[in-house]
Amino acid sequence: MSKEITIAVMGQPNVGKSTLFNVLTGRNVHVANWPGVTVERHEGWRDYRNRRLHFVDLPGIYGLSASTLEEVIARSYLVSGGPDVVLVLVDSTIPERTMYLALEVLELFPKTIIVLTKSDLAHPQGIHINPHVIERKLGVPVVMVSAATGQGVNELLETIVRVSESIIGRRNPLKIDYDELEPFIRSVEEIVSKTSLAKDFPIRWAAIRLLEGDIDLESRLRKRGEEEALRKIAGIREEIRSILRQRPEEVFAQKRFNYLMDIVRESIARIEKTKMGVHERFDKIIMHPIMGPIISFLILLILFTVVFTINTGFPFNILLDSMGLSDAASIVEEYSLAGLMDKAISLLGEYIAYTLEGSPEWFVSLVVDGIIGGVGAVLVFLPLIFLIALMLAILEDSGLAPRIAVSLNYLLNKIGLSGHAVFPMTLSLGCNVPAVMATRATPNYRERIRLILTIPFIPCQARLIVILAFASALTGLGSVALVLFSYIGAFLVFAFISKLLITYDRRKGLYEEPELLLEIPPLHKPLPKVIWWLTWDSVRHFLKKAGTIIFLVTVIAWAMLYYAPSLEPAVEPGDSIGAGIAKIFAPLLYPLGLNYDQAWMIAYALIIGFLAKEAVVGTLAILAGTSSASEAIRVIGLSDPQIAGLTMFSVLYVPCLATLAVIYSESRNLKLTLIAIAIMLSVAYLVSLVTYSIIALFS
Amino acid sequence: MPPIPLDQLPPGTRARVVNVYAPGRWNYRLLQMGVVPGGIIEVVINNGVGPIVIRVMGVTLSLGRGIARRILVEPLR
Repeated sequence: MSKEITIAVMGQPNVGKSTLFNVLTGRNVHVANWPGVTVERHEGWRDYRNRRLHFVDLPGIYGLSASTLEEVIARSYLVSGGPDVVLVLVDSTIPERTMYLALEVLELFPKTIIVLTKSDLAHPQGIHINPHVIERKLGVPVVMVSAATGQGVNELLETIVRVSESIIGRRNPLKIDYDELEPFIRSVEEIVSKTSLAKDFPIRWAAIRLLEGDIDLESRLRKRGEEEALRKIAGIREEIRSILRQRPEEVFAQKRFNYLMDIVRESIARIEKTKMGVHERFDKIIMHPIMGPIISFLILLILFTVVFTINTGFPFNILLDSMGLSDAASIVEEYSLAGLMDKAISLLGEYIAYTLEGSPEWFVSLVVDGIIGGVGAVLVFLPLIFLIALMLAILEDSGLAPRIAVSLNYLLNKIGLSGHAVFPMTLSLGCNVPAVMATRATPNYRERIRLILTIPFIPCQARLIVILAFASALTGLGSVALVLFSYIGAFLVFAFISKLLITYDRRKGLYEEPELLLEIPPLHKPLPKVIWWLTWDSVRHFLKKAGTIIFLVTVIAWAMLYYAPSLEPAVEPGDSIGAGIAKIFAPLLYPLGLNYDQAWMIAYALIIGFLAKEAVVGTLAILAGTSSASEAIRVIGLSDPQIAGLTMFSVLYVPCLATLAVIYSESRNLKLTLIAIAIMLSVAYLVSLVTYSIIALFS
Repeated sequence: MPPIPLDQLPPGTRARVVNVYAPGRWNYRLLQMGVVPGGIIEVVINNGVGPIVIRVMGVTLSLGRGIARRILVEPLR
C-alpha cells in the first residue's frame, strides 16, 4: 500500500456522523482516547485506489469556540497538522443551522469537503439543494451522500483523493467579510502577530477568536506571560461593545449566519409544509406537563420490564407466582438469559474439571473456580448490558430519548438533577453497571459526578435477591414490610446523599442550577444497522474496560478464599485468608448485637457480596451448612431487628465489584472511586445501626 | 413592541431575538445553535412550567426555563 491520507470527520450532533463514519470505514475501527483526556477517539481505515484512507472521527460539536472540551480537541487537531483533508458533515434536512460548523472550519482549514448527509431525506421533506452553488460560493467541493442507500459514497472517496492532492478545493482559509468589524480585526491581528500564538495558529483566525473572547487562546497567552497583549485585546473588545452595543461574539455569530443565509438563499429551495403532522402532535403530548411524565414513565416501565424479564425472569416470575402458577414462574426463571448463562458456565466448569482430572487440586480449582469463575462473572453481566444497550440505542436513534428527558426534567429539577438523569436512574433498578455508563450523556460534569456517587444506592436486581432471601426468614407481614422498607429506605438515602453533595458543591462554588439545552431531532424509525453499531459499541466498551478489572479481581478473590494464611489450601472456608480478614472486621458488627461467631460469618458473607451481591445468600448457606438462606439465618440465630439491619447494610454497601470497576473506568479517577466506597460503606453501616436500634426498641 | 423574555411567549408565536444573556458556555452554545440576535424563532411548546420548545433555523430545541428567561425577544405580528 503506497500513500496514506488522513481524513478528519467532523459534524454537529445528530447530522449522521457515526453512521457515515461506519459506512466509510466498514466498521474497520480502532477506539482510543484523545491524548490526556477521556473523550473517545474512533479511527478507521479503508483502501481506495492504491491509497490507504485513514479516517479520524472527531467528537460532535456545534462550532469551534473553546466552550467545551470537545471543541478544543477538534481545533487543536486541525492546527496540529494531523489531517490532510477534513470532511464537515451538513444535514441536508437542516442545512442552515448545520452548515455553521462548516464555515468555522473553513475559516481555519482550507482543504475541506462539505458532505451533505441524509440526501435521501431532503427531497421528501420539500428541500432542494443545489450543491454546485455552494461549491462556487465557498470554493470547496460539496458531495451529497446517503448512508442509508450508499449513494454518493464513491464520489466522496474520489473527491477526498483529489482534494488531498490539491487538484481541487481551496488553498487558503475562507475569509468572511465582517464589515464594520474589519478595522478591529486588523488591530488585533497586529497584536497577535507579535505574540507566541502567531506560530501555532493562522493570525486572522486567532484575532477573530480572541475578539470573541476565546478562553483557550486567552489562557495560552496568560501562561506565556503575554499579559500586555491580553489587556490590549480586552480594550478593543470593550470598544466594540460600546460602539455596537452588543457583545463581539454575538456580532460575529450574527455575521456568519448572515453570510450563510446569502448562500442558502441561492442554493436551497424549500417548499414549506404548513399542516401539523403526526409527529408534532405526538410532541405536544409527550412534552405536556402532566401527560408527558405519565407517558414517559409508561414507556420506560414497559421497555425495562421486558428487558429485566428476558434477563432474569423478574418481575414476570413473581407475577406468575402470585397468580398461583409457580411452575410457569420457575420455567421463566430457568430459561431467562441469566439462568441459561449461569447453567452454561457451570457446565463448562464441570466439563473442564473432568478433563483436568489427575492434575494438582490447586490447579483444577484455579481454572474452574478462579478463571472460569472470573470469565463467568463478566459473562453473567453480558446479556443485561447487551439488552439495555439495545433499548437505549433504540430510544436514542428514534429520537425518543431527548423527548423523555425533556418531559421528566421538571420533576428531576426538584432533587437538583436535570432531565439527563432519567436513564441512569431507571437503569440502576436493573443493574448499576450500565447505569453508571449511561451518566456519560450528562453534560454538566459535577452533576455527572454526583450521579455516579449516588446511583449505587438504588437497589439492583441482584440486591433484590438478597432482600427476598432475608425477607423469607421473616414471617407474615414482616417479610412484605422488609421488602418495601428496603426500597423506600434506599431511595431516601439516594435523595439525601444527592442533596448533601449539592450542598457540598454549593459551598465550593461548583454548583450550577440544572439546566437543559437539547436538540430534539425528528422522530423516525430506527435503522437496524445503526442500532447494532450503537449496541455493539457499549458492549465492547464494557468488555474491554470493566471486564478486565472484574476478571482480575475475581481471580485474586479466588486465591484469598482458596488459600489459608500459611499459603496451604484451606481445609474449611473458615481457615482461608478471606475468613481471616472477616474475623478482623467482625467486631464492627458487635453493635448489631451479634456475637463473635455470628459476626465473622456475616462479615465473610458481606465480603463475598463485594464481588457479586447475590453471593451473600449462597455464602451464608455454605457457612451455616444449610441448603437455603432462610434456614441459614435461623441456624446462625439472627433476630428480626438484626435481619432488618443487615438487609439495609446489604442494600446500601458497595453494590458489587463490577460497579466499582465501571465507576473507575468511567471517571478514570481512583480518588473518586475510593470516595465512593467510603461513602457507601459508612452510609450502609450507619443506616443498618439505626434500623437495628429503632426496630429493637419497638420489639 | 418592547422586548420580553422568551419564556413569556405563548406557543405558536414567532419572535425576533434581541439579546442573549445566558451564563458562560450556554451563551456560545445558543449562538452556535442559531439563537443569534436578529434571528427568527418560533415557540412550539410552552406550558408555563418545565422546558420550553422552540424552532430555530429548521431545528427543534428544548431549553430549560432558566436559559429561556435570559433570551430577550421581540414578538412578531
